[in-house]
Amino acid sequence: MKSKKWLPLFVFMTIVAMLVGACAPAAVATPAPTTPAQVQKETVIVPQEVEKVVTATPPPSGPVTLTFWHGYNADTETPFLEKTVIPAFEAAHPNIKVQDVNIPYDQFHQKLLTAIAGGTAPDLARLDIIWTPEFGDMGALAPLDEVMSDFATYKDAVFPGPLSTNFIGGHYYGLPLDTNTRVLVYNKDVFSAAGIENPPATVDDFLADCAKIKALGANHWCFGDGGTYAWAVDPWIWSFGGAMTSPDYTTSTGYLNGAQTVAAYQFLKDGVDKGYIHPGIKGGGVDTWGLLGKGQIAMILEGPWFPPSFKSQFPDVKYGMALMPAGQGGSISVVGGEDIAMFQQSKNKEAAAEFIRFMLSLDTQLQMATVGQMPVLTETTSSENLAKLPDYFGIFLEQLKNAQARTPVSNWTRVEQILTDAGTAILNGKGTPQANLDDAVSKIDPLLPKPAQ
Amino acid sequence: MAISTNTQKKIIPYLFLAPAAVLFLLFLVYPLLKGFQISFYNWSIMPTKPSTFIGLDNYVKAFQDQVVGTAFKNTLIYTLITVPGQMILAMLAAVMIHNITRGKIFFRTLYYIPVITSWVIVSLLFRYLFQSPEGLINYFLVEVFHITPDPVGWLQQAGTAMIPVIGLGIWKGIGWSMIIYLAALASIPHEIGEAASIDGANTWQRFWAVTLPLIGPTVVFTLVMLLIGGFNVFISVYLITNGGPMQQTEVALSYMYHQAFDFIDFGYAASLSFLLAAVIVTGSLLQMKFLRRPVEIS
Repeated sequence: MKSKKWLPLFVFMTIVAMLVGACAPAAVATPAPTTPAQVQKETVIVPQEVEKVVTATPPPSGPVTLTFWHGYNADTETPFLEKTVIPAFEAAHPNIKVQDVNIPYDQFHQKLLTAIAGGTAPDLARLDIIWTPEFGDMGALAPLDEVMSDFATYKDAVFPGPLSTNFIGGHYYGLPLDTNTRVLVYNKDVFSAAGIENPPATVDDFLADCAKIKALGANHWCFGDGGTYAWAVDPWIWSFGGAMTSPDYTTSTGYLNGAQTVAAYQFLKDGVDKGYIHPGIKGGGVDTWGLLGKGQIAMILEGPWFPPSFKSQFPDVKYGMALMPAGQGGSISVVGGEDIAMFQQSKNKEAAAEFIRFMLSLDTQLQMATVGQMPVLTETTSSENLAKLPDYFGIFLEQLKNAQARTPVSNWTRVEQILTDAGTAILNGKGTPQANLDDAVSKIDPLLPKPAQ
Repeated sequence: MAISTNTQKKIIPYLFLAPAAVLFLLFLVYPLLKGFQISFYNWSIMPTKPSTFIGLDNYVKAFQDQVVGTAFKNTLIYTLITVPGQMILAMLAAVMIHNITRGKIFFRTLYYIPVITSWVIVSLLFRYLFQSPEGLINYFLVEVFHITPDPVGWLQQAGTAMIPVIGLGIWKGIGWSMIIYLAALASIPHEIGEAASIDGANTWQRFWAVTLPLIGPTVVFTLVMLLIGGFNVFISVYLITNGGPMQQTEVALSYMYHQAFDFIDFGYAASLSFLLAAVIVTGSLLQMKFLRRPVEIS
């Protein structure tokens, strides 16, 4: 009878003890920030040993496996990476294996956060250039200017625009891996049906062409885009002479709600109201490639991945490409692209640095170009190298001369949510462009970095 | 082993319970408590970076945040429409299937298929159906039935963007309640219905006064489960509207998700989750108090 009383208690205590035992390390690890900080300092020392090794033989002594997360597309880029680029790297570095993980763009941010919080971040990742400031600011990325002894060589070898997205708080947290921009893509059959000879060079030409295209019928739209996020609206804002923020990114007052930016939004609003722009931009999105292929949308803005991928989906559709139509501010498009970054949690920083060097070598950059990845090395624009690049890169390289990066601030996702909501409100007729942008500015300004004293 | 058979008998059940209990404590109770702790912090996701304790700030912020109001309102609207919608249609389907003589299995399977399909796939399908202007729904409205002169911009306005989400919730949920109702209907003895018929009750009276009270506990069970399910709507909203346009179709969980994984504000997201939990727990307690009256079949 005695056992009746203590047994349940005993079992319960055992379970609790097991639970506490299992949880304690995790619970204790988080509020103790000092010890791991020292560990980081140690890892910084390691690459200096590499310095001697790098020039002569491949570095690490034992076999090492690197994990590399990327969002290369599944039809052309990923197979090329896995079948050509990585095997070439592994052949040159017998001690390093590269385990690449393809993660779709829309899950990338979340998976990476989860991995960082859980201490299981990859060694390397190909980050959208708008994410690098955020992850760098968070302390998740290794400062490459400290980890790579030869960082300066790479810093000087790449285009300064894409490089700028890696510079946060006095350090470089990545190197550009590929770059891109959006140019105007138009369906040639629709243009000839509407009696248009040349793609529009200016915003006025664009509007004149839109009137002709609309005359083809209600199911025809002059232009289509997926929403009012920065990637979509920035080219119009800049080409109209407007801006998101001041050049030092510290305020949006007078820029995002300035006269030119307001004019750009008014242009988009009028376009939607007149039926020039497909209503999917107001919300819900639109299958721009599908409708361009069917000839229902005449013009879209697209990047250098478009020609190879579109060809595989719509082999018979004839299209042309042109620069962004020029407004008061000129013909200015948006810079996209990816950085390659190394994580603080990486245990193989020397090997990871070696992979970065390989990805930024002229050979690899030219190879990746064959699947639509625009190189970031300035030497690729020499006539000798240019000849090795696909023909369609010409228009993108031309546009890149007049293209800007989206605001590289650590609060970018919040800023973009406010921007997107303001744009959606404007296009749906909920308040004037000026009123919505004034409101957006009041919300965005507190999220921007404080001006340097 | 010097343990008596009697003692063994007492230990063994607990040993069988232990694995499940450990998993429960480890993967439910511990995260729950941890989440509660996070909700009082400006939480840093970097294991190496300290989090700062900010007391009730996250909760205060939640009460001042307009989008939280919208999100909870949308969650409530979704629940208030989809729960009765599912229950009534499921009951209708269950009664009909119960009373037909041929094709029972066929219809039962037919209505149950949406339940086992993936939320992700049907959400994307609904998004596609409700595209504007070229979606299938608009095609039927404008071209086939001429109900509206112009295509409806379903996902472009807050008012209409919830319709596909709610429609999906009802359509996908009918089968689940239906199966449970079918089982309950099958448990009612024939004699009771027959007795009611002899007493002169028509079909409707038999259903309303005899069948429904007898399966009352089952109905209450589905009600409680569906209410909890309704408050937890997420995948369909995330994939169909993603909270847009202008965060007008955010529901509690989607807003929480955006705070945590887009804006990296895990402390705030955790506080939102506990506010939602408070609502659900209160609601469930009230239901149990007022609705649980077992009906005996004797």
